[in-house]
Amino acid sequence: MGGEDVGREALDSGRGGIAVLDSAGNITWTDEAWTADDEGGGLPRAAIGTNLLQAYRGHEDPRAQAVANGIVAVFEGKAMYFEIEHRASRESGRSFLTSVAALRGDGAGAVVIHKVVGGRAPPNPPPPVDVRSTSTAPIRDGMERLTPREREVLELMAAGSDNRAIAAKLGIQYTTVRGHVRSVIEKVGARSRLEAVARAYRNGWVAKL
Amino acid sequence: MRTSSGAPAYPIPSHVALLHYGESELRDAVSEFLLAGLDRPSEALVCFGEPGVGERLLRYLESRVGRDLSPDYRAGRIVVGAADPDVDRQLQNVIAPLEALRASGFALVRFVGIVAWNAPDFPPPEDFLWFESKLNEVISGFPVIGLCPYDLARMPARAIVYGALETHPFVLSGGALRQNPQFMAPDRYLRERLLTLPWLQDEVRTAIQPLGGGVGIHDRHDP
Repeated sequence: MGGEDVGREALDSGRGGIAVLDSAGNITWTDEAWTADDEGGGLPRAAIGTNLLQAYRGHEDPRAQAVANGIVAVFEGKAMYFEIEHRASRESGRSFLTSVAALRGDGAGAVVIHKVVGGRAPPNPPPPVDVRSTSTAPIRDGMERLTPREREVLELMAAGSDNRAIAAKLGIQYTTVRGHVRSVIEKVGARSRLEAVARAYRNGWVAKL
Repeated sequence: MRTSSGAPAYPIPSHVALLHYGESELRDAVSEFLLAGLDRPSEALVCFGEPGVGERLLRYLESRVGRDLSPDYRAGRIVVGAADPDVDRQLQNVIAPLEALRASGFALVRFVGIVAWNAPDFPPPEDFLWFESKLNEVISGFPVIGLCPYDLARMPARAIVYGALETHPFVLSGGALRQNPQFMAPDRYLRERLLTLPWLQDEVRTAIQPLGGGVGIHDRHDP
């Protein structure tokens, strides 16, 4: 299910708080504001314009941190969709479902939906893992991190050119191209040349072949 | 595709996937391929692979012919090349000896590149498949037969076996050389295969499960 579909479904259902984030983590659209704080058991409130990532990453509530880390994973292309279900407290028995889905295309970001899903948490919950294990790298669109020259290099990499051909096309030294390619791979968070290219296509940073 | 002597008749240039099962088949096929050129002064040999592999291949050839091949190595007729984790540098490590041998006037270069996967001194699999596909463009201007052994006994993923088939215009298997109908031109291979390799996709569904007043992140395997 795409991000728009998730958002539309939540709107149609008329339940829950919805936040649409740009790639920097700012809330750019919502039903009013993300009025998700449900008797203190939901996620902290966030108004339009809030940088949800900064606010939640630095929040003492581990649920907020988990949401931020889920958004990070979506923005970094490590996941298209996360679901976060948590229980507010043992006493209240209320549980909440937070969905984080990627938005693709220009101005890509994520839609975050938070709603009450039940009065009792399921029995025998699985053990936790450390939510801080998700990357804490700065969240910016991968293409924004690249210099104009690196963008040119990425576009030629995506067209299948090797470094020698890139050097010839751009009129620069082979060793300079090597430096640019290494930098591109690192900045887009890829482990390999092809992963960088695949990421560039997936995020619309380069034109389709 | 065989010569009158029964040996495979390789087009020139050609890029061939040798599909073999285990070390024994590898040694037999590679020996036959390289030894055919050893006694022809107009032909040169390149032994390529992870650092150290080319040297071992050369030692193995010496044991097969029963003589020291270091004079040929020193004269530049036999070249030992090394893979590189940087796939473009590896590509240049292939191009450089081909250019040098062509400039020296050799009529044919027999090139063996021993394939490895996820080895520390080898490019990642997706980059290596790009390299294999790219080689088809690179070798078009050289008098070379490139033989790339793929050990089917050790292939870690079906995507890589398909990669071998889709990046080589010819396949050598069981001693028979065949034109490969599954071969894809490099631009098409990039578009239709490399960019859709399963391990490069990120549609990972993950859930954070309920805990008593806390949260935890878990992979959710069911779609």
